Amino acid sequence: MSTTSPGAREHDLNAGPLEERGIIAFRHVDLVYKDQAALKDVSFTVANGEFLCLTGPSGAGKSSVLRLIAMDAFPTRGQVIVRGMLATKMSRRRIPRLRREIGFVFQDFRLLEDRNVYENVAFAQLVVGVPSHQIVRNVMRVLTNVGLWDKRHRLPRQLSGGEQQRVAIARAMVNSPKILLADEPTGNLDPVTAQEIIDLLFRINDAGTCVVFSTHDHGIVKTFGQRVIVVQGGRIASDVKRRVPVDRNASLADRMYRPGETATREPVHA
Amino acid sequence: MLRNAQAAYLVRESFAGFRRRKLTTGVTILIMGSALLVLAVLTLVTLNLGGMLEQARVGIDMRVFLAEGLPDDRVAALQPQLVVIPGVAQVTYISPETALHEFRASLGDDAELLELLDQNPLPPSYHLTLRPEARNLDAVQAVAREVGVWPEVEEIVFHQEWIDALETWTFRFQMASLLVGLVVFVAAVFVISNTVKLTMAASARVIQIQKLVGATNAFIRTPYLCEGMIQGLLAGALAMGVLLVAGRLLDGQLGGIVFFTPAQVGGFVVFCMLLGLVGSWAAMRKYLTLRSEI
Repeated sequence: MSTTSPGAREHDLNAGPLEERGIIAFRHVDLVYKDQAALKDVSFTVANGEFLCLTGPSGAGKSSVLRLIAMDAFPTRGQVIVRGMLATKMSRRRIPRLRREIGFVFQDFRLLEDRNVYENVAFAQLVVGVPSHQIVRNVMRVLTNVGLWDKRHRLPRQLSGGEQQRVAIARAMVNSPKILLADEPTGNLDPVTAQEIIDLLFRINDAGTCVVFSTHDHGIVKTFGQRVIVVQGGRIASDVKRRVPVDRNASLADRMYRPGETATREPVHA
Repeated sequence: MLRNAQAAYLVRESFAGFRRRKLTTGVTILIMGSALLVLAVLTLVTLNLGGMLEQARVGIDMRVFLAEGLPDDRVAALQPQLVVIPGVAQVTYISPETALHEFRASLGDDAELLELLDQNPLPPSYHLTLRPEARNLDAVQAVAREVGVWPEVEEIVFHQEWIDALETWTFRFQMASLLVGLVVFVAAVFVISNTVKLTMAASARVIQIQKLVGATNAFIRTPYLCEGMIQGLLAGALAMGVLLVAGRLLDGQLGGIVFFTPAQVGGFVVFCMLLGLVGSWAAMRKYLTLRSEI
């Protein structure tokens, strides 16, 4: 379970030892980047296995939240705790290890253009020192899961945008991360392909991986968001959760045009 | 602990730049080679000029003229005393007859003038050859001071002005070599660092992805450092090769020029490898902060 609100925050965040506060916890986090306040007094927690949708206009601070989770940036004030580890107390040597437990997916896919699908995914295993025979097995597993094993010899430029994003997801998942951070993963995709990608993320989440999904697309948020945090001007404007879970088996049309969607949401701290 | 797959990857990646970025790598080696060629030429000039100055210093010697009329045993007794003076390498006795013979030879056609003399006016003397470390003005003067107080010694001759001039030129040459060498060295490091930065910029995406999937800095860094060393090695070999070919072509016109010994060539190439390593390291620092620039 997750929680936030100015009133409940202190109680929830101090409720127990770090590992009991959720897989991700932000506590009164400020982030100043290049003399600009990117985040101001942000507090929330994300439970293990939760699917969190982070939304807000461009430049609101969504990516800053993801960067803090990845320990690619460190809070100017406050605490960021990921998998029980406090960002400000992390040694430099521990950060690569933490990142092996986090998968990343981006809007622009970020694949290695001169390597084929198989090599792009295997690369993530290679750098963390997985033995060769296991690499083959793991890459085959994730590429089969995303439906691209047959295209393993193709270069990224020979794939569609949706396929490239699926390769990126396979790469993110091959090390079996506990958290998957998806930064506008549907930004470059058409609605149908976007739905496929979101369905894939739902499947990953169903298998137990915590997914933090950032998007500025209200349509996607309205249709797919389970728990939604709205970031605006570097602050959390709202944090709500559906009363009725998203029907992950419903078609895109059913989900997009189902009436009364907003009425089924409630604040997380309520 | 590296696994086999990782070790194979690191070796493969160390050479991958040569395959993936043929033009960039080629230009890098060419620019590095040019800078190193300037450095090698300067080193060669320095070595040769230094050798010439050292050769000139061999001419720094002293002549100790003895008083006339000294008995032979007293003259002979001076030799062992002169040999033990610090800085003196060799002592040669020059009799008045030998001195006259040398003088006559030096006069050439004018030697007939000596026939006018009734007797040999030249005194007996000792020629002192100095050890290499004593071939400077201070040491020469120290020897002169010590020997000058002996009652048997009439006069001591050494070419102070010449030694002065030689010392001045040696100092100027050393300062000029140091200054030019420093400038060329800094320029070479700058050129290498910048050319390696080009390589790094071309690899920025790979580095970013490596960081995102949890690669350690050591793992990311190793292939680039190896690549920098290989580039340094090739650039150094290129510079030496050009110098060697140029040396062969100009062999007749550069008579007396001393080329690098095989050990010096090896040392220079190893130095170039280290330069490539340092250049790569400096260029990589920017890319190996903890930030992955998500």
